[in-house]
Amino acid sequence: MKRTVLAISVLLLLLVALSACAPAAPPAAPAEQPAQPAEEAAAPPEAPAQPVVLRYADKAADLGTMDPHFAAATQDRNLVDMVFNALVRYKPGDGSVFEPDLAVELPEPELVDGKQVWTFKLREGVMCHPSEQVPAYELTSEDVVFSLQKSANPDTSAYAGEYTGMTVEALDKYTVQITLENPISPVLFFPKVADYAGGFIICKKPYEAMGADAFKTHPVGTGPFMFDSYSPQEKVVLKANPDYFRGRPKLDAVEYRFMPELNSRELGLKSGELDVINGANEGQWVERMSGEEGILVDVYGVGEVATIHFNMTVPPLDDVRVRKAIAYALDRDEFLALFGPPVAANVYSQVPAQFLPGGLTEEEVKELGLDYAVDREKAKELLAEAGYPDGFSLEVVSSERESYLKPYQSMQAQLAEIGIDLKINVVDHPSMHQLIRQDVNPIVVYVAWRPNADVYLTRFYHSDSIVVTGAKPDTNFSHYTGIDDLIEAARIELDPEKQIQMWKEAQIKLLEDMVSYPLLYMQQVTARRDYVDYGHELKSVLALYPQITENTTINK
Amino acid sequence: MTEATQTWEAPTIQLRSQRQRLWRTFVRNRTALLGLFLMLIVVFTAIFADDWFIAVFEGREARPLLAPHDPLKQDTRNRLAAPSSEHPMGLDSYGRDTLSRVIYGARVSLAVGIASVLIGGVLGALLGLTAGFLGGRVENILMRVTDVLMAFPSLIMGLMVLAVLGGGLLNMILAIGIVLSPTFARVAHGTTLSVKQNQYVEAARSYGAGNLRIAIRHILPNITSELVVLASIWTATAIRVEANLSFIGLGISPPTPAWGSMIRDGTQHLFNAPWVSLFPGLAILITVLAFNLLGDGLRDILDPRMQQ
Repeated sequence: MKRTVLAISVLLLLLVALSACAPAAPPAAPAEQPAQPAEEAAAPPEAPAQPVVLRYADKAADLGTMDPHFAAATQDRNLVDMVFNALVRYKPGDGSVFEPDLAVELPEPELVDGKQVWTFKLREGVMCHPSEQVPAYELTSEDVVFSLQKSANPDTSAYAGEYTGMTVEALDKYTVQITLENPISPVLFFPKVADYAGGFIICKKPYEAMGADAFKTHPVGTGPFMFDSYSPQEKVVLKANPDYFRGRPKLDAVEYRFMPELNSRELGLKSGELDVINGANEGQWVERMSGEEGILVDVYGVGEVATIHFNMTVPPLDDVRVRKAIAYALDRDEFLALFGPPVAANVYSQVPAQFLPGGLTEEEVKELGLDYAVDREKAKELLAEAGYPDGFSLEVVSSERESYLKPYQSMQAQLAEIGIDLKINVVDHPSMHQLIRQDVNPIVVYVAWRPNADVYLTRFYHSDSIVVTGAKPDTNFSHYTGIDDLIEAARIELDPEKQIQMWKEAQIKLLEDMVSYPLLYMQQVTARRDYVDYGHELKSVLALYPQITENTTINK
Repeated sequence: MTEATQTWEAPTIQLRSQRQRLWRTFVRNRTALLGLFLMLIVVFTAIFADDWFIAVFEGREARPLLAPHDPLKQDTRNRLAAPSSEHPMGLDSYGRDTLSRVIYGARVSLAVGIASVLIGGVLGALLGLTAGFLGGRVENILMRVTDVLMAFPSLIMGLMVLAVLGGGLLNMILAIGIVLSPTFARVAHGTTLSVKQNQYVEAARSYGAGNLRIAIRHILPNITSELVVLASIWTATAIRVEANLSFIGLGISPPTPAWGSMIRDGTQHLFNAPWVSLFPGLAILITVLAFNLLGDGLRDILDPRMQQ
């Protein structure tokens, strides 16, 4: 009996093994298919052209929103960048140059009754993408006015503060006039109407037809790619916009995949299942991947700046000697080694001089003696002077992300050298953002990019931006109130040189009072298969990805 | 007088011979011996990682003893350095010595493993004994609560408890203790139901002993061996759950070395610095194996059914 069972089992196993080795059966032909004439049947069928799809994998776990006026996370900024246009745009691949986008040209401002007027002539024939509710239609000044008014409304935009004192009106179908209560320089004005944050232009009719909530996952713009589908925690698919005003994109579609695990992204790229991946912010990773056959690694701006902010209302950080002691205890090169060149570099002022006008260079800061070069003996003396000869303890929360946890852990080890015990509670990234805005951290490490010096200084150091208690609570974690006048004066200064001078003065004061400690900037790292050509030189992109446009190609 | 002396010595001799028999059975079980040996190595490593026992008396900070370096000392300029004679397990992503961190990490794993099993064991035994001994409605309520708790996988349950309590060593111990308690409760309940039918319990009751006295003096000692076996096996589970929770970032706060969080730190560097994750992974493997082998051995000698 046992032998029979054994024999049957072996036979079954053999059958299973043989069936596994057999080639896959072709799909059965539909029953109703008419018989083909012999000649036609013999001729090889013309294979339909394979769609050219670029498969991009990002480190995010899921989508946040595709309403461009709320998009703040990197994955959201990447996606809206492909779907929407603005009146002006940063040159693809180079965030330091403005060029016309929906506007025909970059206008010159006029002064009318003390107010500054900017008049934009719109391109004709720009088409809004078709949606379920509204077919494709031509974008006009009505859409532009609606969109900018939406950006200025705090209920419908996260960037409303940028549009205070601005009125927008349509002069005719293709002319839009923007009036500012207080004149500002082009350096400060163009970012408000450029393809970043509140400057993106949405199409009015589909937004009204589907409502604000649906728009977050069904965006309708005028960009080179149109929304096709969204699979939560998996991917967003964008397809080519055949009516794009700069010409039909060379790609048929972009698959934007959510893959938080670096190793999975790396394996996907190596195996050819992915074309572009978001890499690791590490010099060693860049070096290793650059040596892989068929893979190119790009390191480019903009550099997100990591800064250590001190809450000046919390003892013992309310004592400038303690803050300076901490600054003298920190070694920028220690932090830098965690990321390594070419990905990161030191910064010496709150506005990164490497990327923006108005920042202080390393030489300028050293000349002023405000670089706080590491000197732990001096740090201990300052602590003793402030009444803390044995140090003290502080407790902070950190995101689990490497870009935050690394600086916090390095700071923890360095501060231990002067007797300061820093306890770190690790939480998920969104929780950290929520908690630091509730003012729980005496010391905040914040990694961010802002489009100009005014935005940096206003959002981090103007009294209106103080977390919780400010008039418009934002990211002034230090509760500093000492440079409001300089920020406001620089904002309305039309002479670029004087404006830059004021921004520099403001930062000198920040360093003298050791309000925050500028640490390093981290560049963007992406890796791609060598057959991917972005269609532009890659220097800096505000949307923090290599930028996929109508000119991006796959040349297999 | 002589007679009286003989009468009192007899049980001691019996007990000693019983212990000797159990020890002989245990010694004959080679896998159990291997488990004990490995566990002793881990315990020894955890205790002598640094010279805390001398430092306490000298009033200074402890210095590394078995660990070759300070596990918190960062050397960022040489981060992810490969294993070498100075750093046999290489350096991690902050430039810390991996061997020293693996050695110190044994403390966290053992502390969590042993303390959480103690909490879970005491809590579970109390619930199970009460339910089994009192019976009726109390039994129904307690055992249904236990069933509900057991319906959740241990990691999910640990996650839920930590989400409420927050991270940190003590909360982690408490969370895992709560996770383990239903298992102990079930075993204690079943054994109590069996033990309470014994004649010596009936005899104690007929002599007027109260419920509390019977439970503590007559039932608890007779269910302990089952609980000890369970504890040794579930210590391995507790260590594994701790590693899992640390791996997903809910464990011990940095920079304290914990094997789970060390593996997590290394996942970003699996292709260029596999040693960062590999060695703490091996440490978990050895420790879990040790407790499992030991637990199996104890079960073999303490459980009469297994002996048959």
